[in-house]
Amino acid sequence: MLSTLADAGTATEEETRTDAQTDTVPGLADPWVTIVWNDPVNLMSYVSYVFESYFGYPPAKARKLMLQVHHDGRAVVSSGPRERMEVDVQAMHGYGLWATLQQSGQGAAAGAGGAEGGAA
Amino acid sequence: MTPFRSTPDGYVARWEAVERHVLARVARDVAELVRAESGVGPDVEAGAGIAFTGVGRVPHDPAVQRLLPDAHKEDPDVAADFRHLTQTDLAAAKIARLEAFADALDPAQAASRVLDGELDEQDWAEDAQVVVARDDAQAFAGALTDVRIVLAERLGLDDDDAVEQLHDEVIAGVAGDELDETDDVDGTDDAGDPTAVDGEQRRYWGGVFVAAGFAQESLVDEMLADLRARRG
Repeated sequence: MLSTLADAGTATEEETRTDAQTDTVPGLADPWVTIVWNDPVNLMSYVSYVFESYFGYPPAKARKLMLQVHHDGRAVVSSGPRERMEVDVQAMHGYGLWATLQQSGQGAAAGAGGAEGGAA
Repeated sequence: MTPFRSTPDGYVARWEAVERHVLARVARDVAELVRAESGVGPDVEAGAGIAFTGVGRVPHDPAVQRLLPDAHKEDPDVAADFRHLTQTDLAAAKIARLEAFADALDPAQAASRVLDGELDEQDWAEDAQVVVARDDAQAFAGALTDVRIVLAERLGLDDDDAVEQLHDEVIAGVAGDELDETDDVDGTDDAGDPTAVDGEQRRYWGGVFVAAGFAQESLVDEMLADLRARRG
């Protein structure tokens, strides 16, 4: 599972990454999550673009996550090993989105992580 | 300023000289601010793709803190480790794309020379097109994001309502009050000034913020359409 996720990091096809996430058992092989936080500056279309182009998410999933960020103040946008989440967080900061990493199961983020996993 | 449109050459818009000049200038100011705050020295060539191993100190300026934020909410050790490992790379990448953005808008400072009367606008009018190659579009949009984030912090735009109110103010005032080359540009050349803007400056920089948002929105709409078309 770990190698699948690591490989997915270099893949550009959206299916690879999506499948890797869907197959993952939450809380077991995916102890960390990447959370994107709302901010008043970034445009909704830009956030959708980032989720579609970087993560390879289909438009509907990207939009759902974008709206979750907008309305709930945050959304779990990816999950996996810590090293993988560090790459994702750095990428989000590069795009100008505020992202943090967190261990899945810590605090309220656990529920959000579970919901995100089911949405794949 | 016209919206960006997708063309075979890339994404194309027309910006007036003053729009190009002001946005190029603020981008250069933001690049300098990031450089000064992040520990990326002035002697470092930001665009060379070098792997930096910098000090990664926490920026003092709240706008730069937003560009280079903590990577963990509750665990300062995780945030500090992350900053140590990544900040200089991240800052250098932002500096490079801000400078490329400024150079693309105002090559050889041509817009500035038009405004200063050193260059006839007729001679420069052909360059009024802003052409963003597809390969450069993500960096261009990213530079616009960083500029907007810094302006928003200076304007005190900390929630959606504040942004909306500023939009309304700018739209209401824009009819007889296009972006002018006022003293504010020269008087506010230090984007690192942590003092909040007020009054006329708010109107001026508010106009720049809204213009940058307009440019970004139209560019990103076209980028999204192209991305989705490529993926079928």
